Amino acid sequence: MLGFIPLTDCAPLVVAKAKGFFAAEGLDVTLSREASWATIRDKVAVGALDAAHMLAPMTLAATLGAGGEPTPMIAPLALNRNGSGVTVSTALAAALRQADPVAMAETPVTARALARVIAARKAAGAPPLTFAVVFPYSIHNYALRYWMSQAGVDPDRDVRIVVTPPPRMVEQLAAGVIDGFCVGAPWNAVARADGIGEVLLRASDFWRDGPDKVFGMTRAWAEDHPDTLQAALRALILAAAWADAPAHRQELVALLARPEHVGADPQAIAWALEGEIVFHAGDAGFPWRSHAAWFLSQMARWGQIAPDLDLMATAAQVYRPDLYRQAAESLGLASPVEDARIEGPKAFFDGQVFDPAAAGAYARSFPIGRLSA
Amino acid sequence: MRVLVIDPDPARAALVAEGLAGDDRPEVRQTARYDAAEVAAFAPDVIVVACDSADRDTLESLREAGETNPRPVVMFADRSEPGLAEQAIRAGVAAYVVDGLAPGRVRPVLEVAMTRFALMQQLRGDLAKAKANLESRKVVDRAKGLLMKERGLDEDAAYRLLRKLAMDKGRPIGAVAADLLAFAGVLKGDAS
Repeated sequence: MLGFIPLTDCAPLVVAKAKGFFAAEGLDVTLSREASWATIRDKVAVGALDAAHMLAPMTLAATLGAGGEPTPMIAPLALNRNGSGVTVSTALAAALRQADPVAMAETPVTARALARVIAARKAAGAPPLTFAVVFPYSIHNYALRYWMSQAGVDPDRDVRIVVTPPPRMVEQLAAGVIDGFCVGAPWNAVARADGIGEVLLRASDFWRDGPDKVFGMTRAWAEDHPDTLQAALRALILAAAWADAPAHRQELVALLARPEHVGADPQAIAWALEGEIVFHAGDAGFPWRSHAAWFLSQMARWGQIAPDLDLMATAAQVYRPDLYRQAAESLGLASPVEDARIEGPKAFFDGQVFDPAAAGAYARSFPIGRLSA
Repeated sequence: MRVLVIDPDPARAALVAEGLAGDDRPEVRQTARYDAAEVAAFAPDVIVVACDSADRDTLESLREAGETNPRPVVMFADRSEPGLAEQAIRAGVAAYVVDGLAPGRVRPVLEVAMTRFALMQQLRGDLAKAKANLESRKVVDRAKGLLMKERGLDEDAAYRLLRKLAMDKGRPIGAVAADLLAFAGVLKGDAS
């Protein structure tokens, strides 16, 4: 029994089931569509789900007991690269363009215009702008915060960040409850297609081929079911390769659009699949420990975890490239020989370099953050 | 004590709320969706939320915000009683509890919620079964009619034949009847 959230990047699970990759491994899999990340985490923790589509930082937070009881989890496979995006209401987009047309014309766009709008609103006594993310422990939360901070906006003090379920983002943006959001596909495309929002930044603009979702489970389950886990990993790797193939694009979109999967407009689903989300190519499934260490650096930066934690040691506990390699090798696929790498200088939009060996120092290096106050 | 029940299924929320109110003291309110203003105004000590509510992630973030926010920290019920959270999650409910509330006061609330969830599930299951039975009876009647017409059998013989087919194939009689009707349709050219 595997859980998933209705988002485009649940594709490897849906494909593995629908196209028979699980069956070919002798696995009888039921997919369970869940309504929230918290429920995915809890059901996996208590064994009501064997494994699930998870936000990558959730596996780290659960292991550390950030936001709940500590339950050691592992991530032996990344489900996709890229896919999320920062979208603002058309009204805020117009205000940003008026405040700083130069900044708004830059590629990728910076948050300097946002800093100006916020300063003007403060001077006028207007309430802070509200941005929504999908979960406290998510690339969406960290990317939005990083992007804002880089232009001098303190995400804890200058704006309000709330958590809103992905399917409700667009209606809340339309209703003016929120001014912008960072969410996964297909919801940025839905807001855009409905004329409600403007996509400012795609995940690939923020971090080229940056991490997003993983296939996660408890460490205990993985240790008790090593063969089942390897079979599932092989099925998911093959399904991810299937999902990447342009020849399967139409079928993939139709499959995801079905109400029991994502249940959104096929055109909106197709948008992020076009040149954005990668499921398999370029070792997209490989769970780089440097990705985990970066997430941990941001969790430390924003005060979600203890500042003195050994970040690389935690990354090594949770991210399991060894299990990925074993599955890939049995399929005759090559995988990276290193477990971690230096991310950058062409990875992040601001040209910064992340060295996982110095993750703690990196977390403290930002002028805006809860470690530097 | 104030309890807020958040459940996208209003009938189930009503059932839980009714169970809690009958129990004794707590003041109970039910809502289909989390609303920040409503929660602030009602100031619940316990929020019982259905696992199939999308609002759980928002409630999680309130716990996060607790550090910088003067409002009470909401805590998942698990730290208080071992095994309670596990039972609750399996039953389909979760609870967020204001920090400092005596664990003993949370258990009865969650127990009522879990019992009522199970009751609702059973009611729904019975209804679905009754519907399926009715449907399968209709299909069997049509298949019987077909056999009577095509094979010149009487009603009893037609039914016995269907039952034999079902037993031979180890499948429910409704499924065998549905197959028979589908194949008859193909033979008559209904589908290709």
